[in-house]
Amino acid sequence: MKQLAVALACALTVLACGSPSPAPEAGPGGAATARGGTVVIGLLSDVQSWNPYLAEDSATANLLALVYPSLAVEQADYHLHPPSFEPALARSWVWSDDGLVLELELDPRARWSDGVPITSRDVVFTWQAQVSPEVGWLFAAAKDGIDGVEAVDEHTVRVRFNRVDPYQLMDLNDGLIIPAHAWAGIPFDSWREVAWRERVVAGGPFSLAGHTPQQEIVLERNPGYFRPGLPRLDRAVFRIVPSDRGLVTQLLAGELDFVRSVPPADVDRVRADDDLELVVYDDRSYTHICWNTARPRLADPRVRRALTMAIDRETLVDVVYAGFVRMAVGPVLSSFWAFNQDLEPLPFDPEAARALLADAGWRDRDGDGIVERDGVPLALELLAPAENELRQDIALLVQEDLRRVGVEARPRFLEWGTLLAALDGGDFDGMVNLWEEPTRIDLAEVWHSPPADGASLNFGRYSNPEVDRLLAEVAELAEFPDRKPLLDRIQALIVADQPYTFLVENVRLTAHSARLRGAEINAATPYFNMDEWAVAPAGAE
Amino acid sequence: MTRLIARRLLLLVPMVWLVATVTFVVVAAAPGSYADTVEHPGLTTEQRQAIRERYGLDEPVHRQYLRWLGAVATGDLGVSFVAKEPVARVLARALPPTLLLGGAALALDLLLGLAVAVAAARRPRGCFDRLSTVLALGLSGLPSFWLAGLAVLVFALLLGWFPASHMHSVGAEQLSAPARLADLVHHLVLPAACLGLVAAAGTARYLRSTLMDVRAERFILAARARGLGEGRVLWVHTLRPALLPVVTLLGLSLPVLVSGSVVIEAIFSWPGMGLVLLQAAQARDVPVIMAATMVGAVAVLLGSLVADVLYAVVDPRAREEVR
Repeated sequence: MKQLAVALACALTVLACGSPSPAPEAGPGGAATARGGTVVIGLLSDVQSWNPYLAEDSATANLLALVYPSLAVEQADYHLHPPSFEPALARSWVWSDDGLVLELELDPRARWSDGVPITSRDVVFTWQAQVSPEVGWLFAAAKDGIDGVEAVDEHTVRVRFNRVDPYQLMDLNDGLIIPAHAWAGIPFDSWREVAWRERVVAGGPFSLAGHTPQQEIVLERNPGYFRPGLPRLDRAVFRIVPSDRGLVTQLLAGELDFVRSVPPADVDRVRADDDLELVVYDDRSYTHICWNTARPRLADPRVRRALTMAIDRETLVDVVYAGFVRMAVGPVLSSFWAFNQDLEPLPFDPEAARALLADAGWRDRDGDGIVERDGVPLALELLAPAENELRQDIALLVQEDLRRVGVEARPRFLEWGTLLAALDGGDFDGMVNLWEEPTRIDLAEVWHSPPADGASLNFGRYSNPEVDRLLAEVAELAEFPDRKPLLDRIQALIVADQPYTFLVENVRLTAHSARLRGAEINAATPYFNMDEWAVAPAGAE
Repeated sequence: MTRLIARRLLLLVPMVWLVATVTFVVVAAAPGSYADTVEHPGLTTEQRQAIRERYGLDEPVHRQYLRWLGAVATGDLGVSFVAKEPVARVLARALPPTLLLGGAALALDLLLGLAVAVAAARRPRGCFDRLSTVLALGLSGLPSFWLAGLAVLVFALLLGWFPASHMHSVGAEQLSAPARLADLVHHLVLPAACLGLVAAAGTARYLRSTLMDVRAERFILAARARGLGEGRVLWVHTLRPALLPVVTLLGLSLPVLVSGSVVIEAIFSWPGMGLVLLQAAQARDVPVIMAATMVGAVAVLLGSLVADVLYAVVDPRAREEVR
């Protein structure tokens, strides 16, 4: 518990320091003002493509955000209110009275790395690529609410929306701006055949200086970057190391300056190294057990509540996560503005769990230690991915806890593809899983009754007509404050139904070398303010 | 001889086809696909389905197989799902690092194996012989991932003598050519040693026993009787016949030389064929898995052919049999 308190204190400190500082130049030790230097960052996988609209993974998107500009930057203030946006390539914007037209003014200082100015033509071209079926951008649905993007003049862009929605700006900002002057000549339908590495023209803080596949990516300062005096670093080198263990080893060997995720098991080694700093902060994810509510044994909410109350989640936090996480409550993370503050985790109470099971008709009539109903024992299979030791440990602990209330849970570890097939087919009882929650709060994806073909992320086939009705109502509301009471109500219903056993809200452990200065490390993106990162000059320690 | 080579080369095609087909079936039989391995927290079920459609993963397996076979027959290995570039380019890039690592390891294997075997065979059951036997047995019993982990811990983390991974240091591209070469060799030492030492242990054991066999032959006795020095007996009369089996070893090393060591390349982030295959397998990148497997199959078949031919060249007795 003490460890949890420490971890939470760390997390809160980071959150407190995480608000954008008005004068980042005044960093610790004054060294942040220093320009120059190289930072070496560990990366698990190589970029898939240097064209942001062809890659499918998030690691590529995060890295390309350093090379291609965004209109605005989403801030990490989602714990206070819906995320706000700071100007980036768009230095200001104005909404029309009806909320359907947005005019953005682009920063006239912005240049591509080849010296060509970044203009509204690039923004229009980007939108055309985003919605082009030939390009087939996976996230094109984000642009469904946009009817058109037009260039008013060289530095003014007008965007017409077809609906008013609290996430309009987020949707518009989704995707990076690409160079029209360099890429517009390539027909969209041949984009998949192009070697994009040779065609990178940067407009973000860094440009591409070199890429050795499966080895390293070298970025260097883009002199045309629109924020004057930035970036501070000369170079950012990304070294590809294909395993978490390898990343930590290289960090300890002094070959890396920054590793975004350190496994809890390696924390002590990182802490023992004076040249390294560990940052602990809320990650936007929670680990849970998804129960298959379509199974008759699990259809009764009383049974699911009993299962949750039988699991000692505090011990789990200490044993599995070394105290680095906190107990989860419901479908919205407690660090989010939309969290229903009135809710609390169900208590750990094996007695009450047994009573609930008995209420639902599950009693141990034959004295074998397992409860049964109509002669059928309450035996469940608990799936976990074979690739994830943490979740396997959870499954084993849960097995012990459930046995104490007369429920037989058999852990079964499956390879990820097999596991997904079981989930999609509804062929499982329970599964230890993790959801990463985007800052765009869309509970329908997971909690709305599944469509007839079953294709949704609602693997447990949870269905509550009241939740469905409220979800539909939320989608109609254009203002966040109007949405909040409905979101609160939905959370309360889901927590009462316990279609999941909400286990823990995760934290992320990022390690970096002590010479790195000015880095604002948060859950928004891995390289949040990298244009402001600096390294202390040699001998400054 | 020519007929032997021609026959074996002709056999290569159906063999490689068989290996590739079995691989395809195994990969297809495993549940899930590339679409399920893409790491992106925001992907919805529809988006994963869109990925499946983009790469034809929603089609029946037999159609996927025929499409792949048709393309390969025309020399098109396809495009990597992950790297979004032609598979041929991915493999062409991975081959040189693997050849370099494999070549260095093979050289270490042969030289060290030979040196230890000769030294041990000079005084059988002597101090060095016993010590080297124990060491060699121990080394060849070690799993390579364990040995590599230990090497990284001791020589990279504790002593800091060698880098823990990669082929070059950060900023190596700005070095002069000789300095860059030195940097490469510096990075090569640990992985090549891990691969080569284990192999050398086996080679030393093997060579020592053939050396001992040859020493017991009558022509050695005859050589000694002629008054030849111990050195000449060893280096000329004993070693040459004892080296014959090494030719077979060489041929059998070709697959490792070309396909790379998955374990060592993964631990040292060495961008060779082994790492490419491992990552393709993890990501279910079917075109890369297929091509890398085929390259491996060709290497195995060619390796055994090369061994047979070389054997025939150096050993007149084998030449008779081949005919």
